Amino acid sequence: MKSGILIVDDSLAVRMDLDEAFRNGGFATTLCGTAAAARDALSRSAFALVVLDVLLPDADGVEFLKEVRATPGTSKIPVMLLSTEAEVRDRIRGLKTGADEYIGKPYDPTYIVSRAQELVRKTQPTQTAPSPPGILIIDDSATFREGLKAALEGKGYGVTLAESGEEGLRVAVGLRPRAVIVDGVLPGIDGATVIRRLRQDASLRRTPCILLTASEDSGGELQALDSGADAFVRKEEDIDVTLARLAAVLRSSDASQSVEAESSLLGPKKILAVDDSVTYLQELGAQLRQEGYEAILAPSGEEALELLAVQPVDCILLDVLMPGISGHETCRRLKSSPGWRDIPVLMLTARENREAMIEGINAGADDYISKSSEFDVLKARLRAQLRRKQFEDENRHIREQLLQKELEAAQSRAAGELAETRARLLMDLEAKNQELESFSYSVSHDLRAPLRAIDGFSRMLLEGHAQNLDGEGKRLLGVVVDNTRRMGQLIDDLLRFSRLGSTAMQKASVDMSALAKSVALELVESCPGRRIECSMGALSPAYGDPSLLRQVLQNLVGNAFKYSRTREVSRIEVSSRSEEEETVYTVRDNGVGFEMEYAHKLFGVFQRLHSSEEFEGTGVGLALVKRIVERHGGRVWAEGKVNEGASIHFTLPGQGDANGRP
Amino acid sequence: MADLNEIEVLLVEDNPNDTEMTLSALKKHNLANRLHHVKDGAEALAFIFATGAYSTRKVECSPKVVLLDLKLPKVDGLEVLRKMKADERTRLTPVVVLTSSNEDRDVLDSYRLGVNSYIVKPVDFAKFAESMRQLGLYWLLGNRSPR
Repeated sequence: MKSGILIVDDSLAVRMDLDEAFRNGGFATTLCGTAAAARDALSRSAFALVVLDVLLPDADGVEFLKEVRATPGTSKIPVMLLSTEAEVRDRIRGLKTGADEYIGKPYDPTYIVSRAQELVRKTQPTQTAPSPPGILIIDDSATFREGLKAALEGKGYGVTLAESGEEGLRVAVGLRPRAVIVDGVLPGIDGATVIRRLRQDASLRRTPCILLTASEDSGGELQALDSGADAFVRKEEDIDVTLARLAAVLRSSDASQSVEAESSLLGPKKILAVDDSVTYLQELGAQLRQEGYEAILAPSGEEALELLAVQPVDCILLDVLMPGISGHETCRRLKSSPGWRDIPVLMLTARENREAMIEGINAGADDYISKSSEFDVLKARLRAQLRRKQFEDENRHIREQLLQKELEAAQSRAAGELAETRARLLMDLEAKNQELESFSYSVSHDLRAPLRAIDGFSRMLLEGHAQNLDGEGKRLLGVVVDNTRRMGQLIDDLLRFSRLGSTAMQKASVDMSALAKSVALELVESCPGRRIECSMGALSPAYGDPSLLRQVLQNLVGNAFKYSRTREVSRIEVSSRSEEEETVYTVRDNGVGFEMEYAHKLFGVFQRLHSSEEFEGTGVGLALVKRIVERHGGRVWAEGKVNEGASIHFTLPGQGDANGRP
Repeated sequence: MADLNEIEVLLVEDNPNDTEMTLSALKKHNLANRLHHVKDGAEALAFIFATGAYSTRKVECSPKVVLLDLKLPKVDGLEVLRKMKADERTRLTPVVVLTSSNEDRDVLDSYRLGVNSYIVKPVDFAKFAESMRQLGLYWLLGNRSPR
């Protein structure tokens, strides 16, 4: 895969160096010395990545980065900033502006290329490594290389060759080989370092590595295992031994490849070194880079904390004695922040000091090193901390994945249970509804039959055998007939009331004025001889079930007729008034009224404030009204005074516009 | 009992009280002379299709109207109705469903099956008698069935 890399740096030496490194890594390059040239290049062709120097003769690199990010066509290209200055502030500014990586000079070209490959891989996730991946052999001896290659190819392996550690690493990043066989002794970086660096790249970390060693002694083996090799083979041994070892490591690696490499764990380790002595910092930086780490240098605790806010690191080397906030304080702050708590901190002190060490450990430091020690010791301790962190990161990652899976399983279980419960409730509800329906059916059918017989036979008696009955006998039979009629009415009302809960409402726009008029007209016709004054204002239209709303008005206007019949002139008034989100309808009469303290009883089933001798009725009407109004989302209430009439108000949602729709 | 082929009204009703009231109302208006009463759906079918005890009848000599209760022992009223409306010979015989139920379900089912009229038996005997009278006059006197 050829991806274009745009290299923008004013130094010809840097351009040539990076050009070579990228070309060796399989990239095509375009070189620019100025921001103007880079702008031109970006406008003409697409690039997979930009390497950008912070200091350009005609522009500030970070400003140019801002420009790149603001341009639609280039806003998503990964950008690596390159800077001669080790100023933490520049780094923070660059990363905040949107750089994907910030690399200090002097840089390690191998690292830049591998990091570039990683960034390109991230932005172009569909591109896969060339297949089939083979075995990578890194050895400077052409004879040995070719010999081993021939043997491996004879066994059916694909083989790629590299002459040096540097070349091997470059190839490995692109190739992702099944296994690496590397010579311990190489002209540039040695075999152990190659393996260590492979171990630092999450995508290659699990690649089985075999270290070849020429030496007889056990030091070679120790060196091999210390670097993280899976096996080591002496060069003088039979080539079949190498093949067997290779087969063995491939077998075990295939079995353990279940966990995929994660991008968060990718890449060389970033080490943040914090020290107020610039000389020491530079020396430390050089040593770290030599080890293949990305070194970030900060001259104070404040700057270190500021940098951490924008860029996570893998380990922190922290000087104890610094102006501003001390190393111990910096450490305490780091360890008390959830985001930074897990970053290993190595405290650096000028001399061995038992108390300082105890204080450092108390502040949460993970290790404590005297500056006077050899850099090798520091590096070894650093390695140990990094290995531990790597391990913890992976563990945490696995734990998080497991937790996530458990959570998902629990969620899906809960969702399943919920659905089941809902289905069961629905079934229950349906069964209950069915029960209710068949109950209603039985009531309507079975209760009426005997009632019909009582009524019918009483009347047959009255009609056919009247001559055998005296006045008292006829009166008694009349009472039977009366009660039969009332019971019939009660059954009808109750059935209507219970059916209200189960039947679906069919809503439409309802002309309440017309409805009220037709209801009143029916009632007037049924009470001949009464003087009734009906006042029906223009009522706001409603949105609801027409037949249910008719029942509401029938009951309310019917009550008004009923309870005002003792008046010489019955005055009945139906009106409406639009409020903010609802319309209030009122039915008022000048009838007998009621005592307000019993107002709450009016709307209960079978609740009556008058005896049935005074006013007939079953005590279901207003309960029915309440149920219908509440099913429409409205409220109902009553106002009245004994002998001064009653007002029943009910609301329906919506202002009742032209469509009657809320 | 009149000749079974001369029957004008077939009353299908299991409730003896309802039967008596119906007969009383019909008699009062002189409509019960050629009436036959059966107490369940199976007997109704036997009569209508001239089977079993009624094998001497002729299917073609249908009654002028069938008064059919819906809630019946053995075979229910809707089933009787369905069988009558499915048979060419009895399809045109008028059927009036008589029931105390005013459940929408029954009304709908009856009309779907092709009932000619539907009357909810009112508790009020006067209303019941009046609807019976109208029914009788309409089907027996006014209405000419396509024979």
